[in-house]
Amino acid sequence: MNNNIVGMEANMEQLLDKIISVQSRSDGVNTSLFEKREHIEKLHRTRNLLRKVQFIYDLPTRLGKCIRSEAYADAVRFYIGAMPIFKAYGDSSFQDCKRASEEAVGIITKNLQGKVFSDSESIQARAEAVMLLKQLNFPVENLKVKLFEKLEQFLVDLHLESKEIAHVSATLDGPNNHGNVTDPASSAAHESSIHEFAEAIRAYRVIFPDSEQQLVRLAQDLVNMHFEAVHRHIKKQLQSEDLLEMLRVIWSDVLLMDEVLPEAAISDFSLVAARNAVKEYVASTFSHLLLGITGTIMKVQDRQKVGVEEEYPLQSVLEASKKAVIQGCMNVLLDFRQLLDEKLELSLKLRDLTIDWVQEGFQEFFRKLNERFLFLSGKSNSGSQDLSLTQGVQGEKVLPGLVLLLAQLSLFIEQSAIPRITEEIASSFSSGGARGYEYGPAFIPAVICRTFRAAGEKCLDHYVRLRTQKISVLLRKRFTTPNWVKHKEPREVHMFVDLLLQEFEAIRGEVKQILPPELSRKHHRTDSNGSTTSSRSNPLRDDRMNRSNTQRARSQLLETHLAKLFKQKVEIFTKIEFTQESVVTTILKLCLKSLQEFVRLQTFNRRGFQQIQLDIEFLRTTLKDTSEDEAATDFLLDEVVVAAAERCLDPVPLDQPILDKLIQVKVAKTSEQNLNP
Amino acid sequence: MQGGSTGIGYGLKYQARCISDVKADTDHTSFLAATLSLKEENEVHLIRLSSDGNELICEGLFSHPNEIWDLASCPFDQRIFSTVFSSGESYGAAVWQIPELYGQLNSPQLERIASLDGHDSKIRSVLWWPTGRHDKLISIDEQNLLLWSLDTSKKTAQVQTKESAGMLHYLSGGAWDPHDVNAVAITCDSSIQFWDLRSMTKTNSIEHAHVRNLDYDMKKKYTLVTADDEFGIHIWDTRMLNFPFLELPGHAHWTWTVKCNPEIEGLILSAGTDSAVNLWLASPPNGDHLTSESLESPTRQVDPLLNSYTDYEDSVYGLAWSSRQPWIFASLSYDGRVVVESVKSHLPRK
Repeated sequence: MNNNIVGMEANMEQLLDKIISVQSRSDGVNTSLFEKREHIEKLHRTRNLLRKVQFIYDLPTRLGKCIRSEAYADAVRFYIGAMPIFKAYGDSSFQDCKRASEEAVGIITKNLQGKVFSDSESIQARAEAVMLLKQLNFPVENLKVKLFEKLEQFLVDLHLESKEIAHVSATLDGPNNHGNVTDPASSAAHESSIHEFAEAIRAYRVIFPDSEQQLVRLAQDLVNMHFEAVHRHIKKQLQSEDLLEMLRVIWSDVLLMDEVLPEAAISDFSLVAARNAVKEYVASTFSHLLLGITGTIMKVQDRQKVGVEEEYPLQSVLEASKKAVIQGCMNVLLDFRQLLDEKLELSLKLRDLTIDWVQEGFQEFFRKLNERFLFLSGKSNSGSQDLSLTQGVQGEKVLPGLVLLLAQLSLFIEQSAIPRITEEIASSFSSGGARGYEYGPAFIPAVICRTFRAAGEKCLDHYVRLRTQKISVLLRKRFTTPNWVKHKEPREVHMFVDLLLQEFEAIRGEVKQILPPELSRKHHRTDSNGSTTSSRSNPLRDDRMNRSNTQRARSQLLETHLAKLFKQKVEIFTKIEFTQESVVTTILKLCLKSLQEFVRLQTFNRRGFQQIQLDIEFLRTTLKDTSEDEAATDFLLDEVVVAAAERCLDPVPLDQPILDKLIQVKVAKTSEQNLNP
Repeated sequence: MQGGSTGIGYGLKYQARCISDVKADTDHTSFLAATLSLKEENEVHLIRLSSDGNELICEGLFSHPNEIWDLASCPFDQRIFSTVFSSGESYGAAVWQIPELYGQLNSPQLERIASLDGHDSKIRSVLWWPTGRHDKLISIDEQNLLLWSLDTSKKTAQVQTKESAGMLHYLSGGAWDPHDVNAVAITCDSSIQFWDLRSMTKTNSIEHAHVRNLDYDMKKKYTLVTADDEFGIHIWDTRMLNFPFLELPGHAHWTWTVKCNPEIEGLILSAGTDSAVNLWLASPPNGDHLTSESLESPTRQVDPLLNSYTDYEDSVYGLAWSSRQPWIFASLSYDGRVVVESVKSHLPRK
């Protein structure tokens, strides 16, 4: 064992020696191989470099291949990979190569741009293209601007299209076919363009993630354009149906926008716009109504100018005006009801407001109508007048017939139109309430009735004054022209009497067309020229007339008792009623009173006095039928003669036979003239 | 409306048209009224309101040669007044003086201080210098405007200037502007003319036909009130003549005359041929004059008519405020009845 162990030790030493020699040998090998390895590594690096160079050299062709296969993503990657080398050696070794690849990249950029702009590409593809362009350091912002410009242009075109729709609707504007404002073809076209627009917005949101604000703006522009079109239409006058049609289109667009761009809150935005539009629509409808009615009324003046001979021009205009008022108001109400009945979300939201607007609209409309009436009658040319209004009528004289017509029309509005409109409003436009309770309802019929009653009375009064003024001019001329102190013997009834009677004839002609006859004389009335406002349909007026009749009866009783004492005041200046007789009689009485006043200002010789006596006596025979109030007329005629006698230096009246004879001559002459005009 | 129960009456013998306040009488409220009778002896009455205000006393009664169409009291001498008169064809105007001791004379005669001769057409009106002692006087005939220089002590009247308004204008009356003594407004057939007395030229006009009468507001400058046959009363701002700034309905028939109260701005009396005298308060139009007429506020509009005095039996042509007691006025109807009334109870309380 010991031997073995000693032997092992010796073996171990031998092993160590061997290892050491192996180590030194391998070190030797190592050092001898080192140079080679260095060389090989150098060669390897060169190879890599050469490969890269090869890549750079190949880049243009490779890019070309990519362009052909449209593998733009690869192309961009290659190009970007080559970038550092180009940066380092682009100016020297790889000049040609760089130029060629840049050209290729140029093509790529162009293609990519084309891709971005192309609507046929998928959104994903276009978004990628933008990304690639961005990697190529291409100024994408410019692209974006261009794209949005394009979108804006698209909007403008869209809007042009809607203008065309408008045009179509305008040409189709007949009252019957206003229903199809948007014919199916163009509405389909509109729908598809809107869809396109919505898609574009959807795409751009993805393509340009930071473009939201711009898109919101564009969507709002779309709504604005829509409402601008609505606004233009409203200006040109349109029906509720058309408005609703437009609102429907708008609303569907809005919903689409909401879908693709919820951040824009386009529905709220358009609600505000729609609110304004409906409000404007209501206002404009009323102003058109006002224009329509005024136009109808003004036909009186036009006819006068053209000189159309009609048997009852005033009456026909009155009827037309009444119809214009009632029919116009009813149409307007019907029209507005469509707005209320519409189930569109937009309309539902505006319902309460619309009711208030309609009520306010009517209130305002009647206020304006009243103003217009007073203006037309020439009563309100005082104070601060709207100049544009004044110029129209100011130059021409106001026709008395027009004033009379306005009087009766005011009465009609008070008694028939307002009650009907009130009823209609109560049934369909009552639950407004957006106004707040403290203000009460916007439409107050009692106030309007009061206003129009006042207006009617004012106009009637004005008519009487206009007519008496005209006669006053006649009388003034008659009494201021001759020298009454040197008057010659009366040979015939003076011509002014004829003129006076002519005036009364004209007044009767006008009054007959406009005003109803008094009830007690109803049997005189022929159906052909009566007014259509049947007094039966109007309990209010019946009542009033009855009252005035009893009043009249009472005053007649009084009159017989008081005979010719102090009844002058009671009888002459009575309140004017809306009847033919009342108006004619009032004018007659006022004119005879004027006659008396003119006589009182003169001094007469005997002949002058006799002339007055003769004229008055003739008037007495002819005026009998004119006046309903014979007693007052007689009294006034007497007063004229008395006044002439008082103002006469030598009041000796004509002998009755001479007076009779002269009157007979005149009567014969007049009837002869009437036979052969 | 209440009738004449509040008024104090006084009867003239004949028909009459004109009455004037005796402005120069500072001790009494007195009026001059004159008759209009073609055939009878015409009279001028000096009427005084008793100190207790319950009675009208005839202070003096003077016969006048012709029927009197216009009468105006001298503003500085209570015994002097002017008349415009006519006898059938001929017209004349004169300045008269009431004799000093007229109370002691049996049948006192008026002394004619001056005849305003030199007119060649119908004389319509004589105007005195608006206030104070001044020698100027204007007479208006149908075609001419004459400015007189009157010397009451020497008892002469001389024409200073005479200017024709043109043939066809038919002047009918006028009013002397109390705020501008060089300005006179004259009514004629078809317009109201404004004359400057320094140059005796027409400076302006309002084309507004058939104005019967006009009066300047004593308190408010540039305010002229006119009365019209058919269309009532118009109130004008003389700086803006295109439109009257206020219209009042006037009377049921012609509005014959208007008189502005000497103390209260906007208080106007009008008399008409409907046998009534109306008392108006014309509130100056505020900015929202037009809107106040609108439907919203029908109640806010105040009726300008304060009262209508209707207890007359004929047309009222004569009207005069008392300048001594400016709440009292006298009216004269054609039948010769003078009625003196107080407006105090109708004035709005302040």
